[in-house]
Amino acid sequence: MAKQPEIVITGAGAVCGAGATVEGIWQKVREGQTALRPIEQWDPANWPVKLAAEVAENNRTLVPDRKLHKSISRTDMFGLYAADHAVEESGLLEHRAGLPDGEVAAFNDRSGIIAGSGGGTFASNYDYLPLIAEVEGKLPEFGRELSNMVTPMWLLKNLPNNVLCHVGIKHQFKGTNACITNQCAGGSLAISESAEMIRAGEADRMVAIGHDTSLEPESVYYYHRCGLMSEDGLRPFDKDRSGTLFGEGAAAVVLETRQGAEARGAKVIGEYLGSGCVSEASGILDLREDGDGVARAVDLALADAGITAGEVGMICAHGNGTPGSDATEALGIRKVFGEAIPPVTGFKWCYGHLIAASGIIDAVVALSALRDGVVPGIASLEAIDPAIAPFPVSADRRDPAGDVALVICRGFGGMNVALVIRAGSA
Amino acid sequence: MSGPRRKVAITGLGMVTPVGNDVATTWENLQAGRSGCGSIEHFDASGFSTTIGAEVRGFDFSSASADRKLLKYASRSHAFALAAARQALDDAGIAPGGADAARWGLAVGAGMMSVGYDELREVGRQCAPDGEFSADGFLDPSFPGDPVAFCRCQSNSGLGLLAREFGIEGYSTSVHTACASGGQAIGTAMKVMRRGHCDFMLAGGFDSMLNPIGISGFCLLGALSTDNDDPQRASRPFDVTRNGFVLGEGAGFLVLEDWDAARARGATIYAELAGDGNSLSCYRITDSPPDGNGPIQAINQAMADAGLGPESVDYVNAHGTSTLMNDKSECAGLKAVMGSSIDQVHVSSTKSCMGHLIAAAGAVEAAVCALAIRDGVAPVSANVRELDPECDVNVVTGESRRVRIRAALSNSLGFGGSNSSLVFRHPEEVS
Repeated sequence: MAKQPEIVITGAGAVCGAGATVEGIWQKVREGQTALRPIEQWDPANWPVKLAAEVAENNRTLVPDRKLHKSISRTDMFGLYAADHAVEESGLLEHRAGLPDGEVAAFNDRSGIIAGSGGGTFASNYDYLPLIAEVEGKLPEFGRELSNMVTPMWLLKNLPNNVLCHVGIKHQFKGTNACITNQCAGGSLAISESAEMIRAGEADRMVAIGHDTSLEPESVYYYHRCGLMSEDGLRPFDKDRSGTLFGEGAAAVVLETRQGAEARGAKVIGEYLGSGCVSEASGILDLREDGDGVARAVDLALADAGITAGEVGMICAHGNGTPGSDATEALGIRKVFGEAIPPVTGFKWCYGHLIAASGIIDAVVALSALRDGVVPGIASLEAIDPAIAPFPVSADRRDPAGDVALVICRGFGGMNVALVIRAGSA
Repeated sequence: MSGPRRKVAITGLGMVTPVGNDVATTWENLQAGRSGCGSIEHFDASGFSTTIGAEVRGFDFSSASADRKLLKYASRSHAFALAAARQALDDAGIAPGGADAARWGLAVGAGMMSVGYDELREVGRQCAPDGEFSADGFLDPSFPGDPVAFCRCQSNSGLGLLAREFGIEGYSTSVHTACASGGQAIGTAMKVMRRGHCDFMLAGGFDSMLNPIGISGFCLLGALSTDNDDPQRASRPFDVTRNGFVLGEGAGFLVLEDWDAARARGATIYAELAGDGNSLSCYRITDSPPDGNGPIQAINQAMADAGLGPESVDYVNAHGTSTLMNDKSECAGLKAVMGSSIDQVHVSSTKSCMGHLIAAAGAVEAAVCALAIRDGVAPVSANVRELDPECDVNVVTGESRRVRIRAALSNSLGFGGSNSSLVFRHPEEVS
């Protein structure tokens, strides 16, 4: 095997219901404090689902450039905010500022961006509702009145690839890029594809971002209709788990070669080791009952990372709190690890399910957990589901069995993505 | 892995387009320069500023899959995708089987994900009868709220349906960079094969924005041609009078295989998928920069990736949308990269006939490049009466040209500034 470049993480940013800094979010997770509380965006009094983890920061805090507010949506603001923090922490911009003029263009062309995007919201279409009401649904009138009643910016405001576009414009990172619209898998794939771009020599550094908000009435309504939402709380792997709950937000990381990071004296906060991505070919909502997809994704990720199952120090499970996903995830983990499963945890009980951002925010939090040598407890866990016991989950904080974390992400379409990351060298 | 880089063969094609619901018909019409543009028939577009489009016609939705339950979850564009993907697999003569299902991957450029007009109208009735939105309207028992409709509009619904229909269990991804989606999906598929994550890839794109909400966004932006009285000439890339693109719909899929494995099984190889380039313009959201900075990097990368210089490229399937800025920027980029070879390179935009398929465009045009190489034909760029002096490249005007194509380049430049370039090499040129 030709030696692949080691890939390190030199910056991270995140925003979600639990906070607007990585450190703030990590404190909440570590201390067992949930950000799930009654929904404020609309009055949930009559709704079966009343809880969510909402981002408290307003648009101006997220994106100070108010000119931009007309041309992007709130999910984009989460993504831009997280990306800004990751880029800032990485010190890449200061580094670029110190380059000779002649090297800046090449630096920019070798800097790429991959965003995992939720793709769009139901609410974005509500801009058409006043028009539809006005014309009583009649199409010819709808067409005629369109430009009088809907902003010309509508399409641009709702492009799924807005975060990619605006992070690019802001930082002039012009290299390889993608916007991944693969539902929950988007954020995790943004990390693994970024790493692959660097491995393949197509970029020297990448910004990986995941952002989403499914927290809107129509989405809550449908997830509930599909039997995926809890009416009382998010309790991964608990015997009384009853579904998931939404969060919203974004996370981002900067990845580069270790050589590049060391050459510019950057602080390394983590190491990317490998990934696995598979489909269960099960359709849109269905899951294979034997956890096969989870097991195959994890196997591939461990092989890609060149480590054995015994070297995994903690597992950050998808743990979305739905009966089906948690049960099959536990089965898949057991398939790989047998009876020697390292401590398993998950973070959605704290900040809810961020859908396209879920895998990447879990990875960012896992980096903090690895740094502090702490496996945070699943605070909402009361009694483990006997159908999956024994399974090493706990409401209490534990010690990891090593400095490597496995981060599992699952999504609609039978998607399973596993990431392997290691703590940064102090 | 060390050693020479893995070569990727294109062994199957599938297309559902405004000029044909299969590969042979589409290709014949493109070569003849027949337009698929006309007045929109799918819905009453009479009040919109643009009333024309390039619609897929005579498509039998129920034929897209034998699995009736699966088809219930398919939108119009998903049905195009299922049909085109099936054609591609049949053409390649292989299919994901039990044992190698995990070595098959899927990469798609997914089109419009939002709900349809009728569903939005229903939401309006329940939640905004006076235009003012109230969430509790969803809780009214009379709200139909069909979970199937919800499943249909997830960002990866198309991916999920394709994986299930064909039993693909390996690496799977869905991308969306607007008009560059299809090209980026195929580039991604090639990379997944090169890095050994899969041995076979089904790669393509699908889209259908020819519906009231889809077309509204473009009408509001003024991006579409308003030549409503002359739909067949409305899409005229590189012409000095061009005034916007014509919205199309459809799907294109390719089957990619390891070159040596394809040769060993005696497969017909259309072309080598030899290079991918990918850049971000970082300029404006809707426009490509006038000097081609952005597209230039993508084209350069794709050619370098394929190990080709400008003198080796004989055909360019341009993005050529027929908007003022795109064609100008793209031609500036092509001239910058091709240098003194630019006059030898035949350039055409097949959007002149089939309109702009948005997220499917790059995938369909990749298939066109494969056919152009196979048959030695540079398809015509229709509707050019007077070439824009700023687009003074060797445009294939008038009629298609017989020309041996050693290598072809396909560009896709998206809203948001993503640029994708792909390079295809004639099988006999593969060393």
